[in-house]
Amino acid sequence: MKRQKRFEMLEKRPIHQDGFVKEWPSEGLVAMMGPNDPKPSIKIENGVVTELDGKKREDFDLIDSYIAEYGIVLDNAEKVMAMDSTKIANMLVDPNVSRKDVIKVTLSLTPAKAEEVISKLNFGEMIMAVQKMRARRTPATQAHVTNVRDNPVLIAADAADAAQRGFPELETTTAVARYAPFNAISLLVGAQTGRPGVLSQCSVEEATELNLGMKGFTAYAETISVYGTDQVFTDGDDTPWSKGFLASCYASRGLKMRFTSGSGSEVMMGYTEGKSMLYLESRCIFITKASGVQGLQNGGVSCIGIPGAVPSGIRSVLGENLLCMMMDIECASGCDQSFSHSDMRRTERMIGQFVAGTDYISSGYSSTPNYDNTFAGSNTDAYDYDDYYIMERDLAVNGGIHPVNEQDIIKIRSKAAHAIQAVFDQLGLPKITDEEVEAATYANSSKDMPDRNMVEDMKAAQELLDRGITAIDIVKALNDSDFKDVAQAVLNLQKQKVCGDFLQTSSIFDKNWNIISAVNNPNDYQGPGTGYRLQNDKDEWERIKDVPFAMDPGHMQF
Amino acid sequence: MSEIDDLVAKVASQLGAQVNQSSSSSNTDTDNTSSLPSKELDASDYPLYKKHPDLVKSASGEDLKDITFDNVLNNKIGPKDLRIAPNTLRMQGQIAKNAGRAAIQRNMQRAAELTKIPDARLLEMYGALRPYRSTKQELLDIADELLNKYNAKVCSNWFKEAADNYETRKKLKGDN
Repeated sequence: MKRQKRFEMLEKRPIHQDGFVKEWPSEGLVAMMGPNDPKPSIKIENGVVTELDGKKREDFDLIDSYIAEYGIVLDNAEKVMAMDSTKIANMLVDPNVSRKDVIKVTLSLTPAKAEEVISKLNFGEMIMAVQKMRARRTPATQAHVTNVRDNPVLIAADAADAAQRGFPELETTTAVARYAPFNAISLLVGAQTGRPGVLSQCSVEEATELNLGMKGFTAYAETISVYGTDQVFTDGDDTPWSKGFLASCYASRGLKMRFTSGSGSEVMMGYTEGKSMLYLESRCIFITKASGVQGLQNGGVSCIGIPGAVPSGIRSVLGENLLCMMMDIECASGCDQSFSHSDMRRTERMIGQFVAGTDYISSGYSSTPNYDNTFAGSNTDAYDYDDYYIMERDLAVNGGIHPVNEQDIIKIRSKAAHAIQAVFDQLGLPKITDEEVEAATYANSSKDMPDRNMVEDMKAAQELLDRGITAIDIVKALNDSDFKDVAQAVLNLQKQKVCGDFLQTSSIFDKNWNIISAVNNPNDYQGPGTGYRLQNDKDEWERIKDVPFAMDPGHMQF
Repeated sequence: MSEIDDLVAKVASQLGAQVNQSSSSSNTDTDNTSSLPSKELDASDYPLYKKHPDLVKSASGEDLKDITFDNVLNNKIGPKDLRIAPNTLRMQGQIAKNAGRAAIQRNMQRAAELTKIPDARLLEMYGALRPYRSTKQELLDIADELLNKYNAKVCSNWFKEAADNYETRKKLKGDN
């Protein structure tokens, strides 16, 4: 065939490097309302669920049993299940119906009914609904802080940098698993240097992650994965009961935690039972609710390429965020994995969450260039900062971060690098040189950092655990080296763990350790003039307006 | 769920409130549910840090106000004094329930019971609940330990329930 030149040009556009597939429902490659999804139903006899979404109690799998036991408010269930799904969808969108009244209905849905409700909404209606249904009034976002060499000085500097930009939660992980204790303490010290009250976590294997939290090196955990089919749950080496118990273990140590799920994980792991992605995700959300966990990270997450490849998939992903909010759960809404080569499509991926505002619009925004993102890259990275600020400014939307001044960033990066240098010195860990501190202060990526002896670092990182070092030792180390303010912040965080206020839904802290959560900052959106309005949040609006590269017409020289 | 707290309190007092003399010399103040405020807490009592600091003690019995920088530097406050107390979790559970989130209270209830289990043992218990790790009897043994050694009634039932479900759905040791 003789090629048409415009088609040839189009094929060279970045979008053509993305993967797209046609629907294949029997393998679960369908966004929502697949032909094999069960019909919604519930039967309750003497307070016991005897039928759930078309399945009899004797045929329940582990997930069904768990949801039937703990996941549904039964008082209202038969009445709510008899309601028309379109009517419930309408309540979600209608600003005249309060969030509270919607929750009374949605907590008594079954997974299949909740999926059906979501399927009635178009993308614009989902944005309207998310605006009302997110748990916390004030939106926020979360950052990834990692580098491919697990360089501790750079993690501390990047953490301080991200904290100054306004991220209230920072997440790290490792390139090499044995580095975990170093990454956790570097992130902790950097975060508390950048802005007291910022929460930090280190995403590693479940038991290790809990152990780091118990030592006071982290404040919360997020990568506690749940899945929508029994087989995949088992392959993930857990059951609903083990994950529910783990949730309680975290709370018993005063640590905030949320689960993780997302469309596409069952396709990826090969056992969908022929169900659609949104139906399986709905089960994950109900498992989270059943466990009494305050929050969930969902929205495709690391499997976003799969819903992203099928028709209506990105719409469905916003739908799963909304479904999480309908269960009155904190929602960290994905947008955290690079999945498209097209800048236009990257923007599309987050636009619903960004415009509506969620508890954490991204669960994580890469605070480093994606080269250094050891979560395999995020949808937005450090190179997108200025574009993102301008989107906030153009649309008057609080996307959770704000512009910063270069001098301030140099200063805070330097302080964090010096602070971690001091901690390493006081704790007898491998030396951090002045050259490294200087490099981390001015670095763009780990390519700008001098080499470290990684074998020695890994050995010392393991010994840190064996020696029984805890956050108290870090407080003392910081104090002894004249970082009293950082020491105080690290101690304050431990004190908050004794108090437990941040175990409540959607909790973050401001710089004075005031808690901002769904309990004392509940979303009260009910149409124009209500809810969170950026222009009424005067300090933040000033920060967002004040991009350093805007011209000042009053001081222009002609 | 507050009836469970009441029941636990009753059982504990019948046993002379001495059932939990485990590792630490934890005074029974932080563990005795009868020392909870007589009126259930709700959203207006939140945050505890600002509104009821007097009600918050660490698991070791330290008052929140004594967790200070100076006391850390003088070694009067150590890592064991930075643990959340069971009653604090119960109060947060009340706040969650009365703010409309009863499921969170159930989690806090389990968490309150787990506060006194040493870290290493807790991690082992979690491991035992993972698929194909334990026989039914091993899960029931942990259920007994939870009940008899730690007075953790809700968590004990959690293990029994898991044992039954794992048996039916073939998730016990050897089922794989």
